[in-house]
Amino acid sequence: MMTALLILHGLIAVALLGAVTHQAFAVSLRRTEARTRSFVARFRATDAGAYATTVVVLYVAVMAVGAILYPRYRFVVRPLLQTMDLRSANGAFELKEHLSAIGLMLLPAYWASWKQPLAAEYGSARLWLTWMIALAVWWNFLAGQLLVAIKGLFP
Amino acid sequence: MLFSLGATLSYTLAYYFDWSLFQYYVAEGRFHISPLPESAGPPILWYGWLATGALIGAAIALITPRALIGRLLPDLVWLVGFVSLFAALMYELRWFL
Repeated sequence: MMTALLILHGLIAVALLGAVTHQAFAVSLRRTEARTRSFVARFRATDAGAYATTVVVLYVAVMAVGAILYPRYRFVVRPLLQTMDLRSANGAFELKEHLSAIGLMLLPAYWASWKQPLAAEYGSARLWLTWMIALAVWWNFLAGQLLVAIKGLFP
Repeated sequence: MLFSLGATLSYTLAYYFDWSLFQYYVAEGRFHISPLPESAGPPILWYGWLATGALIGAAIALITPRALIGRLLPDLVWLVGFVSLFAALMYELRWFL
């Protein structure tokens, strides 16, 4: 059951990573003529607003599954990290815990800033909240991957 | 926006000052409002910090008049978010030194 949940957690995280990264770049870079047809031009040309609800739903889903898995981490993985004296790996998870919580708390503001029609006065909030959530998602994903593979990386 | 502002700030204060609304004891598999003796094993405080943040955030959103911060609100939210992320990074830096 826990293994299935861990895989599900990872799969939702991959989808979230894709959506929020795409949105963060699309909101930052100026749109160019679609005629240029380069990969970067197509990446920029996407409608960043279309990702907002998807990001909110995926973020809440990945956090809910993570919250269910958390006691298992504390009971099994954390003592192992302490025994192996892997302080950085332990710290990576502590930071993951805070970044995911801060991202969750910022989510209503993020959603409000992307509400259609887009309000000009929310421009800075839209840009920075998207990047902060993207940063949290990237850190959490990388820290999660590191911890899942920790026994193989540090035998 | 007001909820996010209050919740982000109060979550940061909650883990810094250990204001956990409740604890979850892994060995026992139960939530407790008041802390148990050390023999009960290590508790998870994170759920309690989240609850503290959400509760204070909701209270702030309900009682703060919007006119009070008006146009400052959108910029204040991302600034507080940025400060909270930076504070978390500084707080957890001890693991990497």
